[in-house]
Amino acid sequence: MTTMRIISLILMLSIAQYPAAAGDTMAIVTATGNPIDTLSIDTLKLIYLRKSQIDPHGNRWIPVNLPITDSLRHDFSLALFSIPPEEQEDYWNAQYFHGITPPTVMTSEEAVIRFVSSTPGSIGYVRKPKADNRVKILQLINPGGTK
Amino acid sequence: MRVSPLIYLLITALSISSASAADLDQANESYRLGSGYTVGDSGFRLGGYANLQFNAPHKAPWVVRTHDISLFLTWDSGSRLRFFSELEGGDVFWASQQESPSTRYGHFEFERFYFDELINDNLTVRLGKFLTPVGQWNPTHASPLVWTTNRPVATENLFSTHATGAMLHGTVSVAEHQLDYAVYGDMSSELDPHRSKDPFDNAVGAYFRYAVNDNLQIGSSFQHYKLAFHQGATYDLAGFDVAWSYQKHEISSEIVYRSNEQNANDHQWQGFIQGVSPLIDHWYLIGRYEFFEQTTEKTGQVGVFGLAFRPLPPLVWKVEYRWGQHNEMLAPDGLSASFAVLF
Repeated sequence: MTTMRIISLILMLSIAQYPAAAGDTMAIVTATGNPIDTLSIDTLKLIYLRKSQIDPHGNRWIPVNLPITDSLRHDFSLALFSIPPEEQEDYWNAQYFHGITPPTVMTSEEAVIRFVSSTPGSIGYVRKPKADNRVKILQLINPGGTK
Repeated sequence: MRVSPLIYLLITALSISSASAADLDQANESYRLGSGYTVGDSGFRLGGYANLQFNAPHKAPWVVRTHDISLFLTWDSGSRLRFFSELEGGDVFWASQQESPSTRYGHFEFERFYFDELINDNLTVRLGKFLTPVGQWNPTHASPLVWTTNRPVATENLFSTHATGAMLHGTVSVAEHQLDYAVYGDMSSELDPHRSKDPFDNAVGAYFRYAVNDNLQIGSSFQHYKLAFHQGATYDLAGFDVAWSYQKHEISSEIVYRSNEQNANDHQWQGFIQGVSPLIDHWYLIGRYEFFEQTTEKTGQVGVFGLAFRPLPPLVWKVEYRWGQHNEMLAPDGLSASFAVLF
């Protein structure tokens, strides 16, 4: 009985920490005018590491992130890199030494939609229901991997 | 020094120009420790790192000094052209067992100064002064990014740590894994009027680093070069490096071999292997073994045993003890400690 209570408590705390994370499918979005229609997870990974900087049509990629405290950012980082965003700081410190900056951080999913829809070459992620007709979906990712 | 007022004016001017660039959709992260100061949407970013170092060799006086104060200026406006420079102030502060604190040994130079033109997703052309891509340590040698106060002999002794000229570099996919490459030519004698420490006279080289998986990288380096102050000797260098990491545990190793084309007896092996293990609450344990063949002495060997405290990723305190044999010239016995921060 005590064990059940502890498990219940852990589950409740987990849900409280990431209230919207459970099962949210992420949509990788770009501007509707972008000629690219799909994107592999490997390419997406390189874009978010800033190792891929130019798309197949010659435009600069502009990846955007959500704040490090956002549960969707956490899920996105786990799905792509298998580590939480906090553990990527060593990587970004090393890149900073080479003049490479991490993706721009937007304040909310709506901000991501607004930025991506109006900025050629930009790419972001939002929860699938938030991806409306202002953006094009390039890829869907479940918290555990691709869909 | 005349450099400091110039940098102050530049920072002030850029700050004023960015005052109207507020964007409510973007997180307010104009400055963050370890990422520098973003000057609005101008494309400029300012930052750097500092390293305060204490060395107490067994057979020489102790010294406290600011080993590096480096200032970065980056420009990337989203076009295919970008710029990076690192102005380094060395030994700006110096005090020792025999000398009172002073700034008399202070010196400044551009450690890096280059333009990158992104040709396509796999190729970037770099022109200017850059760090020589030999192994993994030299290209990322900044004190806040490495685990020990003293760098391994093999990462700087047999080649010039800087090159001035042109480099083609990028990342390509090979067998579904990333291969980073760099091919470069150096013309320091024509292009680097400051004559940095032990510069190349001229050089050609290449570096390849293959990501076997997310935890393991292997690399190889090749160089054919002349050093400016080595009386015309022509050298060939080959190197191999490996880095493995898993849940904050790390093992890395670099080995270089250099031969002199004019003298068959002049050839040297140098290398190291280093392990890092996390302890508790941001403390790390570091152990390293180094060997280095020398021109006038027997092969040197040292062991390094250290601790590092990294409360935040851009900030690290280190203390280490080094001891060995035939190592007085290049890596003397003694205690070292340092504090380094990326700002």
